[in-house]
Amino acid sequence: MFFLTYLRRELQQRMRQAVVIAAGLGLGIGLVVTVTALSSGVRTAEGKVLGSLYGVGTDITVTTPVQPASGAGGSGGYGGFTPGPNVQHTDKLTSPTQGPISSSAVTAISRLHDVAAASGGLTLTEIKATLPGTNQPLSGSFQPPVQLSVVGAQVGRKALGPLNAAHRKSGREFTAADANADVAVLDSDYATAHRLAVGSVVTVANTPFTVIGIVTQPQGSSPPSIYIPLKRAQALAIAGLGAGTVNTVYVEAASAAAVGTVSREISRLMPSATVTNSGTLAKSVAGSLATTSKLATTFGTWLAVLALLAAFAVASLLTLAAVARRVREFGTLKALGWRSSRINLQVMGETIAMGIAGAALGVAIGFTGALLASQAAPSMTATVSTYNTNTKGGFGGQAGAGGAIFSGTIGGPMTTFANPNATHQVPVPFSAPVSDAAIVVGVALSLGGALVAGSLGGWRVTRLRPAEALASVG
Amino acid sequence: MSNETTSAVPSGLPRGGSDPRASASYTLTGVTKTYQKGRRTIFALRDVNLAIPAGEWLAVQGRTGHGKTTLLQVLGGLDQPDSGSVTFGGRDLSQLRERQVTKIRATSIGFIFQTFNLVATLSAAENVEAALIPLGVTSAKRRRLVAAALDSVGLADRAQHLPSELSGGQQQRVAIARALVKEPRVLLADEPTGNLDQDTRDEIIGLLEKLWRDRQLTLVLVTHDSSVARRAERVATMVKGQLKMTDRL
Repeated sequence: MFFLTYLRRELQQRMRQAVVIAAGLGLGIGLVVTVTALSSGVRTAEGKVLGSLYGVGTDITVTTPVQPASGAGGSGGYGGFTPGPNVQHTDKLTSPTQGPISSSAVTAISRLHDVAAASGGLTLTEIKATLPGTNQPLSGSFQPPVQLSVVGAQVGRKALGPLNAAHRKSGREFTAADANADVAVLDSDYATAHRLAVGSVVTVANTPFTVIGIVTQPQGSSPPSIYIPLKRAQALAIAGLGAGTVNTVYVEAASAAAVGTVSREISRLMPSATVTNSGTLAKSVAGSLATTSKLATTFGTWLAVLALLAAFAVASLLTLAAVARRVREFGTLKALGWRSSRINLQVMGETIAMGIAGAALGVAIGFTGALLASQAAPSMTATVSTYNTNTKGGFGGQAGAGGAIFSGTIGGPMTTFANPNATHQVPVPFSAPVSDAAIVVGVALSLGGALVAGSLGGWRVTRLRPAEALASVG
Repeated sequence: MSNETTSAVPSGLPRGGSDPRASASYTLTGVTKTYQKGRRTIFALRDVNLAIPAGEWLAVQGRTGHGKTTLLQVLGGLDQPDSGSVTFGGRDLSQLRERQVTKIRATSIGFIFQTFNLVATLSAAENVEAALIPLGVTSAKRRRLVAAALDSVGLADRAQHLPSELSGGQQQRVAIARALVKEPRVLLADEPTGNLDQDTRDEIIGLLEKLWRDRQLTLVLVTHDSSVARRAERVATMVKGQLKMTDRL
């Protein structure tokens, strides 16, 4: 076929120009593929962090702030102690940072349009402390209070709630029969640290619970130490967290697109509630992951766009230059009776061939870039708000990475048990995968660039008058 | 002229609907063509009247810049006159659409240029084959026609050579083969020997003369060279865009 013969000959004989155009397109496409892979990797990493904070399947969480009137800050509120002359021992389940939500509110949320399911839970802090008497001096035997995060989970609702992202390591999960039983599921880190196993007994609010299972939560989360049935948590929690009351509502939207609408509807339904979805949660993620995310979405995107435009410009200008150099050739072809459209097709074929080469080169560069980025990327961390605490606190001090603050005055009432603004850093594994879609987009862009360049060249050919093209002859 | 040349070229090429080959005569009436050079208007052709009967060999002489090439381009439909008419085979080229003129060029008019104008990246055979592309000839037939055309100019053994691998005379032979492979009725040659030495010039002119006779071509040949012009049936001279018939040999 003459078309292919002519095409092959041109590419062979003008190899240097073909290589320059293909390389230009390839570099642009390669950068696009690399940046796309980086963005994808960052999104995946971000998704992992958010998913672990959030739980797979949960789209929205609803909490309410502690109302001062509810007793959180008073001596009779959550965990308040009244100093006395003698040593006091306490083991209480409190909700220091989240206010109560009634079961009717959970039902109302579940009936909202575009809500697939809603489930309540209790996020609690167990405080075990020994308080010296006011008439006794501090001694070396003083033991700091211990905080422990305990979550009351609805049994039989694993798909939505605090255990939905958990992976069972040993034992079993809650069943409907466990609703009123003193059984617990432990986080594996807590179980390991305290050498607990299935069958062990843990004490929560002075009540012994038999361990029935050990679970692990995804990396990035700050899981509670102990899960107990919601009804038991409601029964053991102090100060207004009675039967039917929860302090966290887990909501699953009917679709990803409905998350925003549902969030707004819940806010209208419960004006004082804190409604958190993936969007608001993403804003709480900081650290190198967030920095990388911003880099990938802003600088990276602009860099890719600029590189692509430069590649298109280089391809177009070189094609126009090539057409200008071949004016006499095209004029001769017109003199031989070739139509402009036929010559255009030839020029277009040449640029498309270079576009295909550019696409192949670009995909190769993209894969290499993504691989290098994955291997060379420094370890990233995400700084996320602490959701549960599992640390030992100290009077008036910040307690470790969990950041819970247990402040108060020795001998006086303890008013604050946890810092809602506490954060912690989690390592984020990073890889930049090149997706099929990125390859398709890269190839399409390269061919698109070639078409643009070919069209410009063809436009120049169409405007070419044979007599002008041959003017230098006579 | 090479002894290897033959006049046998297979026929059976596609014809245009009204077959403009039926009559390969030209009639130019009051043809004027101007160019703007700054504020000056240059008359490339000034009221040219000319009749070229089918099968005639007309040589056109004249100094550089006096309109010889423009006349050839107007005859070949590569350029349009500002005024006047150019009738070819009974059809006024200035009244035809570009597509129709292109078709006439593809089927009926062969061009030969001073600088050969071969496509540098294509072999001799492929350059000749390029002239058959607009005619929609099948690949097998193209190969046969190309082989015969190259054979007719004595270059059968150089078919796969690139233009850069051929001498000036050989390149012009390839250009002649390219012009004649489609069996045109008209051959328009613009200084075909201008870039050749004297021996090669004689060889090429001899070849053209033989082909003109054998194929009964209408040949319009632009040349500076009086010795070449003298071999034509008729000689015209272009002077500042005006055509003067100087001689009939």
